[in-house]
Amino acid sequence: MKARQAIDCIAAHRGDAIAVCALGMAANEWWAATESEDAFYMHGAMGFAASFALGLALSLPQQEVWLINADGSLCMNLGCLLTEAAQAPRNLKHFVVDNGVYQTVGGLPMVNQARTDYAGIARAAGIARARSIDNLADLEAQMPEIALCDGPHFVALRVEPETSFLGTPPMTYEGPEMKYRFGRALERKLGIEVFGPQGY
Amino acid sequence: MSDVHSAIHEQLTKCGITLAASLPDDWVAPVIRRLDADPAIRHVSVAREAEAVAICSGAFFGGVRSVAIMGATGLLTCTGELATLNLRHAIPVFLLVSQRGSIDDHRIYQEVQGRRTIPLLQAYDFPYHVIDRPEDLSQIPDAFHAGRLQKRPFVCFLTRRLIKGEGAAR
Repeated sequence: MKARQAIDCIAAHRGDAIAVCALGMAANEWWAATESEDAFYMHGAMGFAASFALGLALSLPQQEVWLINADGSLCMNLGCLLTEAAQAPRNLKHFVVDNGVYQTVGGLPMVNQARTDYAGIARAAGIARARSIDNLADLEAQMPEIALCDGPHFVALRVEPETSFLGTPPMTYEGPEMKYRFGRALERKLGIEVFGPQGY
Repeated sequence: MSDVHSAIHEQLTKCGITLAASLPDDWVAPVIRRLDADPAIRHVSVAREAEAVAICSGAFFGGVRSVAIMGATGLLTCTGELATLNLRHAIPVFLLVSQRGSIDDHRIYQEVQGRRTIPLLQAYDFPYHVIDRPEDLSQIPDAFHAGRLQKRPFVCFLTRRLIKGEGAAR
């Protein structure tokens, strides 16, 4: 299974879910698959897309939040799994694209490459619904159930490593524009107020 | 000095804060306990201070007002995330931080924090405000609002004199 295939499959089942994407491969692939503005694409704070998504999910308990994480980012902040387990948000799905490499910087191998059981770590942290999927047929078969079940739900997706440097280009906007496009998209979609009457 | 902690809690409520993410330092532990016991506030205990920063940043987009609470040592650990998430995207985050390493702290393991934390904030151009007396706690809502206006991390420091009281035993 290639990362793009996995992301395309997840995106096809997202329904009204909003997304938070870890920087690099996960963000680039989600943008390529969806071109959606109701997703926050991290450009920094590697490891903390998970925490950002948790804060968003706790703030919008009626809204599905899907986190598109990556193995390198998860390993930067494994403690996020403890926090996620403790808060147990029913509206959060945590996908981890595990390609075993730091793809965005040229495909250097991940620490402990191919030996880490991320779903096992999540389960041990207290996230009862945790699974690993390593082929597209299984992902396609399981996504309808994953999309419908309560969170927190952790799904590790074992994909083929790709070593092309930035093979999938990033989204076409960044920085403060990312903030305003995402915030305005949520205001339109959910009828909430992110920015005040003067726009800040 | 439990009144100080209750007063901090009261001022955070005046800010409209309904989510608090924290990793305790002993100076801020009493206010964390109060927030945790408040049913109007979702308290999130974290394993690393930068989690609190990112949780509050996500909450911002849910339209929820929040505070990240930590010690000065924790603040030093998350300056990279504050720069590459909050400064880069102009996302406000309000941090309530014990000002460890002050001249009255007398803890050897806090002395670097005392000397270098504010110069580091200045280097990043992160605004901050120091609250040193109980009568100044009413400045917390103004500090919160200033952070929203400035669209970046805003650190509200709590001093030892404020938390422990004038001349408190070490």
